[in-house]
Amino acid sequence: MRDVDRKFQKELNAGTAALVLLSIVSRASEPIYGYQIARLMDAGTGESPMMKQGALYPVLRSLERMGLFQSTVEPSVAGPPRRYYRVTDDGRAALSRWVGIWNENKDFIDAVLKGTDHA
Amino acid sequence: MRRPFDDYLSRLRKALIGADPATIQDALSDAEEHLTTALEQALEKECGASPESVLEGIVQKYGAPEEVAAAYKEMEAMTTSALIRPRAAGPKSPVRRFFGVFGDIRAYAAVLYMCLSLVTGTIYFTWAVTGLSLSAGLIILVIGLPFLVLFLLSTRGIALIEGRLVEAVLGERMPRRPVFFRRDLGLWGGIKALFRDRTTWLAILYMVLQLPLGIVYFTLIVTLVAVSLALIVEPVLTYVFFLPMYQTHGHDFYLPGWSMPFVVIGGVLLLVATFNVARGIGRLHGRYAKALLVKGE
Repeated sequence: MRDVDRKFQKELNAGTAALVLLSIVSRASEPIYGYQIARLMDAGTGESPMMKQGALYPVLRSLERMGLFQSTVEPSVAGPPRRYYRVTDDGRAALSRWVGIWNENKDFIDAVLKGTDHA
Repeated sequence: MRRPFDDYLSRLRKALIGADPATIQDALSDAEEHLTTALEQALEKECGASPESVLEGIVQKYGAPEEVAAAYKEMEAMTTSALIRPRAAGPKSPVRRFFGVFGDIRAYAAVLYMCLSLVTGTIYFTWAVTGLSLSAGLIILVIGLPFLVLFLLSTRGIALIEGRLVEAVLGERMPRRPVFFRRDLGLWGGIKALFRDRTTWLAILYMVLQLPLGIVYFTLIVTLVAVSLALIVEPVLTYVFFLPMYQTHGHDFYLPGWSMPFVVIGGVLLLVATFNVARGIGRLHGRYAKALLVKGE
């Protein structure tokens, strides 16, 4: 991947990562921890992952700080305790709004890329 | 015993130099959690593979220390700038800053913290002194060492709780999870690490010092607020309830009428000054708590 491509991908991720994580965590039936989230994300992206797994965690923390997630720390059988995330009511409301914003943007970009008149 | 990803963690720590200590602690514990879990699951899947060879692929996916550090630093920069509201129209004059203190939620929070610190200080002090002296007394018995270890572990929990309180009330960013223990060190190694860790002892020092500090904070805030309020309502006390300013040997002393406006203005000024002092103490205490309770680099 070229430098310009990498920069473009990075800037694109900055906004979409929060939407993706919010959607993954809200779909989980029970609280879910970082590694599981990373696995689910990998399953969706296939060969070239959208972002490094290490960059997921700061986004998770920032979503929690915004009140969209709640987390609890639970000891694991081996190794350090794990932080389990689950979505809050605010988070669910934000997700449905963000999906709307995303769709609008997607339609707009698709329209521009296809060269159709967007007015 | 060294874990295969210890090198990675120390490189990550290096890459994070300059970030907030609390962010560094968060980033390291996230990485530790992820790498431990990933390594475990990968080794289960491919029995017989060496941890080092498996780790390479895991680290590849997790990202280079520099990339991961950059992600945390970016997030920290964004959150901090979002939390600090832009100052309206240039820097405020010292006079406006002095009187604007009533509009600052931090000042109220600091007043609350100063009142609370007597209670928390008493609890921390009692816990620390009881724990230390019981440990010292019991050390010659079989239960001495387990007791000491349990006590030292409990101080970490208290350090975390106090950290959360300081962040919530004083706004100083503090760690969101406890310092990890290395499971692979074994029981004995873990105990040694606990004794060798500076944060263990600094947390105990903090707990002990919190009582004198709490007494000073509480006394200061209660006295200053009480005196200011008394001065502000002095005219009401004098002319409505006919209460004297003070009494000695059966004599009542009243302030002359012309002095009432000055007394009220003095009370208001004192109250404003008190809130400014509280805000300053809150800021200093936040920094002090971080220095003692958060593992520095």
